[in-house]
Amino acid sequence: MIARIVSISLNTFRENLREKLLYNLLIFALLMIGSSILLSRLTLGDYHRLILDLGLASINIFGVLIAIFVGIGLVSKEIDKKTIYTIISKPVPRYAFLVGKYLGLVITLMANTVVMIIGLLVVLHVMDVPITVLLFKSLSLIFVELMVITAVALVFSTFTSSTLSAIFTLAIYVIGHLSADLKTFGEKMDTVGRGILSALYYIMPNLERFNLKGHVINHVDLSADDLLLTFAYGASYTVMLLVLASMIFQRRDFQ
Amino acid sequence: MKARQLHSKSQNLITWLLLSLLLCMTIMLQYQLQQREGHVQKLEQLRLLPRGEVLKPALLGYHHLGADIIWLKIIQVLGERIVGEKDYEWLYHALDVATTLDTKYIYAYDAGATVLAELAGRVDLSNQLLEKGLEPNPGSWRIPFVLGFNHFFHLGDHLRAADYMARAARVPGFPPAGPPPYVARLATRLYAQGQNPEVAIEFLEGMLQQTHEDWVRDQLERRKKRVTVERDLQTIERSVQRYIEKNGRNPLSLLDLVVNGVLTRMPIEPYGGEYRLNSKTGEVTSSTHAERMRVYRSSDAMAKKGDIE
Repeated sequence: MIARIVSISLNTFRENLREKLLYNLLIFALLMIGSSILLSRLTLGDYHRLILDLGLASINIFGVLIAIFVGIGLVSKEIDKKTIYTIISKPVPRYAFLVGKYLGLVITLMANTVVMIIGLLVVLHVMDVPITVLLFKSLSLIFVELMVITAVALVFSTFTSSTLSAIFTLAIYVIGHLSADLKTFGEKMDTVGRGILSALYYIMPNLERFNLKGHVINHVDLSADDLLLTFAYGASYTVMLLVLASMIFQRRDFQ
Repeated sequence: MKARQLHSKSQNLITWLLLSLLLCMTIMLQYQLQQREGHVQKLEQLRLLPRGEVLKPALLGYHHLGADIIWLKIIQVLGERIVGEKDYEWLYHALDVATTLDTKYIYAYDAGATVLAELAGRVDLSNQLLEKGLEPNPGSWRIPFVLGFNHFFHLGDHLRAADYMARAARVPGFPPAGPPPYVARLATRLYAQGQNPEVAIEFLEGMLQQTHEDWVRDQLERRKKRVTVERDLQTIERSVQRYIEKNGRNPLSLLDLVVNGVLTRMPIEPYGGEYRLNSKTGEVTSSTHAERMRVYRSSDAMAKKGDIE
């Protein structure tokens, strides 16, 4: 079984490498990271802050764009091209197909993120900005966020078209960053409103948990316990979404 | 065949020409529009910034970058140096937004408050900004330090200045992150002899060590010169007093004081003028500044307009 998942994921990775969109986004990300050198000349005072901030934000936003726009096509493209029939007619369980697809995109994202991180490290080195452990903690959490978003895109990809998947996933991304506010609003409402908003707060992914960009630029460390808990949160949320996607995909009838 | 080739070539040429012409036109139009907006538009952008509390959730976790970009814009506008007095209201607004987006943006509090107090003369807004930064940044000595500076030089309240300085000195850590040793010394001296111009000069030197922006440094240097005149005048006055006690009469000239040994050396007037003595009344003045700085005289501790540049 594992061999099948691995072969599907490697195949997905190879397929993703043919996507022109991927390279466009990657080039933009590297340009943004590089542009921080120019911008830092315009600012006064803390120029380290601007370089780190712009670098981390670029890796994050372009990672999210890649996760969404490549992720939404994972299953729907197979259905559109009718290639799905050749796969599901083989003795491959549907969940294995999904997991393989998911891991393939995660490998793609990993490769992209590594390229962007190398770009950032080069800029930091050239501009004499100290490279700290905290920076890597933040980068690792950005990657966990990308994994969660990819899983969200995969769930939508199993039952709707690419365009709708993109819109839904973007919506979840926005809600995920506002979920803390949902709770605050809820606290000002009556019991029913508070109950609904608090339920939404716990069900929706809290993507702000993976945001350590402010910690890096203001040198506020995150304890190992907190980091571990955040990793566990991201991992369990991702697994939950993969199970959900498998359930939906299992029931789908391909005519 | 040849005719067709020629035709397609000329068509190609026309397309290229048209493209270049259109490019020139857009650049010219853009230039024209740019000329019309200029400085006003940059100010407009900052004035129209939504409140930080509204902007923060809209930035979806990229609010620190938002703060950086607003700070960049503030600097660009300040760099133009044609900032009117009323325009400092938007400066405060923009700084308020930037520091709401990132409550730990110490440099924005610090430099922003210094500009508001020193260049805009809006010490009220400057203190408001700094007070806002105190709570989220208990590890920063710069915020209480600048608050102390404002209270001492702009509000003439040396006791509150001393309180803030003591707060800055209590921040744990060693320089450059922690407070330099002179902060604790200043706090003690402010409590003991807040009206002594020597303390003011030490304060200004401390501030100058921490300030790297030329426009703010100029202002601080000017202030330091002015306080130096007051310090010198007070030193000479004390010497005159000692001379009278010793000789029972007013000195004839300032040189008399040095010859008599009551003044170790004649201070140099920092503006290039000279110190003068009225031998009849014993009054000492500077040739460049007729007004005295009352804030440093124990008889009148109130800061008045004109005392401080």
